[in-house]
Amino acid sequence: MDHIDPRARFIFSFALLFSATATWNPNILFVIFLIAIIWYSMGRLTWKETKVGWFMISILLFTMIVVNTIITGGGAGGVVPPGGQLVWPNGFELFGKHFTFGLTVERLWFAVSQLMRILSISLAFIMIPYTMDSRAYGATFSKLGLPDGLAYTMELSFRFIPTLARNFQVTLDAQRARGFELDGRKGNILHKIRRIAPLLIPVTMNAIVSSEDIANAMDLRGFGQSKRTWLHELIFHWWDWVLIVFSVIMLATVLVLAFRFNMRLFSVPQWWYGLFSK
Amino acid sequence: MEADTTVKKKIWAFGTKEVVYAAIGAALYAVLTWAFNVWQIPGAGNVGIRPAIVIPMFFGIAFGPIVGFITGFVGNILADMLSGYGFWIWWDLGNGLIGLIPGMFSALIYRYNETKSILLGEASVVLGSAVGMAVASLSELWVSGADMKTVIFANFIPAFLTNIVWGLVLLPILMIAYAAILKRSGR
Repeated sequence: MDHIDPRARFIFSFALLFSATATWNPNILFVIFLIAIIWYSMGRLTWKETKVGWFMISILLFTMIVVNTIITGGGAGGVVPPGGQLVWPNGFELFGKHFTFGLTVERLWFAVSQLMRILSISLAFIMIPYTMDSRAYGATFSKLGLPDGLAYTMELSFRFIPTLARNFQVTLDAQRARGFELDGRKGNILHKIRRIAPLLIPVTMNAIVSSEDIANAMDLRGFGQSKRTWLHELIFHWWDWVLIVFSVIMLATVLVLAFRFNMRLFSVPQWWYGLFSK
Repeated sequence: MEADTTVKKKIWAFGTKEVVYAAIGAALYAVLTWAFNVWQIPGAGNVGIRPAIVIPMFFGIAFGPIVGFITGFVGNILADMLSGYGFWIWWDLGNGLIGLIPGMFSALIYRYNETKSILLGEASVVLGSAVGMAVASLSELWVSGADMKTVIFANFIPAFLTNIVWGLVLLPILMIAYAAILKRSGR
């Protein structure tokens, strides 16, 4: 993954995002999902590195799929037509009690489709921060056509993070030495929110005051006077072009299938019905 | 020193100062979001999410819509990266709008500690959060196929309410502090 140009990676990730969101067709979604798995495995990321991200995604998936689609059915309302074949037409027994549950075979398949779609997008985007050199962001966005000012803003903000994190810690320690308690239990919610002010104000105001000096130093060095060059140079290799061409073909194929051949709408494969027929 | 209210503010300017303000704002938003992510406030669980959301709102009010947008947009990308959450473009865009809309109000604000300015700031918090979170939440219609009811109750309302609670309380405090800084430095 390190050898792939960041521009090509962003182009691929966005092509995959638009492809996955252009259709609910199960076959197309399955192919996109497979492509996303292959792409993610190329990153060689470990579980330890990404577990926080996957924890967040699992909460998102649980809310969207288990709660909204399977339990309440609300999440499927916009795509799955009303009615359908019940998974348990006569209800089911649990702990000696009889339950009826209106889950349909169609809604269950929609949950699978949602899982394939959201996981495909997650697989493509979750790996970006773990596999991309932070020094390359400015150059990447500049070469993708973003104005130099905006691209440099991204680059600069990466550089400020360690400084501001240190300032935050120093301010927190200084305020604690003065008896400041962020997690004090007294007072109502308004008081609890306002308690953050002694920490937020010095950190923010110090950052603003110091930015004046940085802006003056940049002006003195002629920032913005001519086209900017980047220390981190990006060079396209043949494999980057292959990835870009593949991305374009993938997106174009999905769009043609979805809109020209009417494969855009949600549908349930026959074999899925077979799993629930007695 | 009083602010000159006869000079029209160039809110869409994006020179060297704006580049630095936007970068500082984005980094600050990311660091504070990360810090409060790992450091939850006991007893305020329901509103203990992202007090740092006030940063794009304040940077929008103080330095204009472009700075506000970048602070929210880039800051949210960085915050998600620091927290290990990945990359969620529509929510990044929503956070950008939370900074952009207060930035549009900045043309009307000259003295940051006046009641009128603070009321305009508060209005911008509500409008910015509504538009920003609406755009981000509505993206779920398209991305995850959720219906409107789910989008409103599971995505929009929780995000909108927590954002305006933090914004309405903390923005005036930051505006008054910034007015004091401006007065002290003679700007």
